Amino acid sequence: MVNWLLRGAAVVFVAVLVSTPIPSGAIAPDDDLPDGDGKKILQAQCATCHELTEVTKFRGYYTSAQWRDIVKTMVEYGAELKEAEVETLVEYLTQHLGRR
Amino acid sequence: MIAGVRFHQLVRFVVLLVACAAPAAAQVRIVQTNSAGDNIHLIDPSTQAIVGEIKGVPINHGAAADPDGRRFYISSEAEQTLHVVDGKTLQTTKKIPLTGRPNNISIAKDGSRVYVGIVSAPGAVDVIDTKTLEKVKSISTKGGIHNVYVTPDGKHVIAGSIAGRVMTVIDQKTDEPLWTLFEEGVRPMAFEVNPDGSTKRIFVQISNLHGFAIVDFAQRKEVGRITLPDDVPAEKVDKGPFNASPSHGLGVAPDGKSLWVTSRPNARVYTYSLPDLKLLPNPVDLGGRPDWVTFTPDSKLIYITTENTDLVHAIDVSSRKEVAQIKVGKAPKRNITVVMR
Repeated sequence: MVNWLLRGAAVVFVAVLVSTPIPSGAIAPDDDLPDGDGKKILQAQCATCHELTEVTKFRGYYTSAQWRDIVKTMVEYGAELKEAEVETLVEYLTQHLGRR
Repeated sequence: MIAGVRFHQLVRFVVLLVACAAPAAAQVRIVQTNSAGDNIHLIDPSTQAIVGEIKGVPINHGAAADPDGRRFYISSEAEQTLHVVDGKTLQTTKKIPLTGRPNNISIAKDGSRVYVGIVSAPGAVDVIDTKTLEKVKSISTKGGIHNVYVTPDGKHVIAGSIAGRVMTVIDQKTDEPLWTLFEEGVRPMAFEVNPDGSTKRIFVQISNLHGFAIVDFAQRKEVGRITLPDDVPAEKVDKGPFNASPSHGLGVAPDGKSLWVTSRPNARVYTYSLPDLKLLPNPVDLGGRPDWVTFTPDSKLIYITTENTDLVHAIDVSSRKEVAQIKVGKAPKRNITVVMR
């Protein structure tokens, strides 16, 4: 009887864990982005407006020029990035998500 | 007796002849893009089943189809190309290079041209000739283009820019911009027509507006705004983020009797009667962040995507009840209805 209760509790615990949504704006574990100044900019400037999957979905497709094009578009959309931050972000995206 | 047999044979022959000569019954398909995937799904609205899949269009954005459904066009943000897809084999037959990163697309009423919104700065509408399958022109715009539409009468191309904060109305015959409106980011639009088919009003979603603006097309001006209801308990309201677009998806039913508008924070779709724009009861809960909508030609069903649950919801228009949920690909957004003849 106790075993059955423990098993039931374990099932419920796992179910809650599995069904708990990732908080909006947080980087999902499967994004697998390495630490760096570029990641900090992504979290601070990009994730306030959209999920980071909107960025990681382009993994492996874009050159540095194309990442720059996207970042430029985002600045036009309202992202408040200083010029130096643009450079850091483009470099980070190219290095970690750029075309292979 | 001999004459009787001959008569039967004649009847059979005529029936066979008529059957061969009659066109195959038109098939309606919901074409569902998947914005974080490389595939596009085709849904049969008579069964709610996925009956086809177009593969190999990475980070697909917009979809359009020839008037007879024999050819599809899909924009790929990843490749910065327009895929030309055979309607029968569902294989890409050509990739057309574009000026920059594409967003949404639209097709001329006669199928002669495809218009591709180019979101890369400085912005443009690329024009594709569907006979030669070549880019024949790039219309300059103020700011990158997110959505582009051909009005139901085919006379105008409407381009919306988030970066340029403007809606541009272009003459479809001359490709010349005629007039502009707004000083805010312009998102999805839907069109209401006059009895003669000309454009009466455009319902326009705007950046950071939980609702839509109403544009009188003849007057070339905004005549009002409607904000969606605040009717969901606070603890159930989704806080986003929503790409600065809390309401991003709307459509006028083909019979012109209702306007359907989605709400991301409320995870609902609301219905307004037309032409009076009266809010109708019983919004439909969707359980996710809704995006684009499309209808069956008979106005009986509406299909709405929820991008964060990878679902398409089929909803009965008259009862406003969900009749099916269809699991599709990653982050489904834009969708269209195609009649394949």
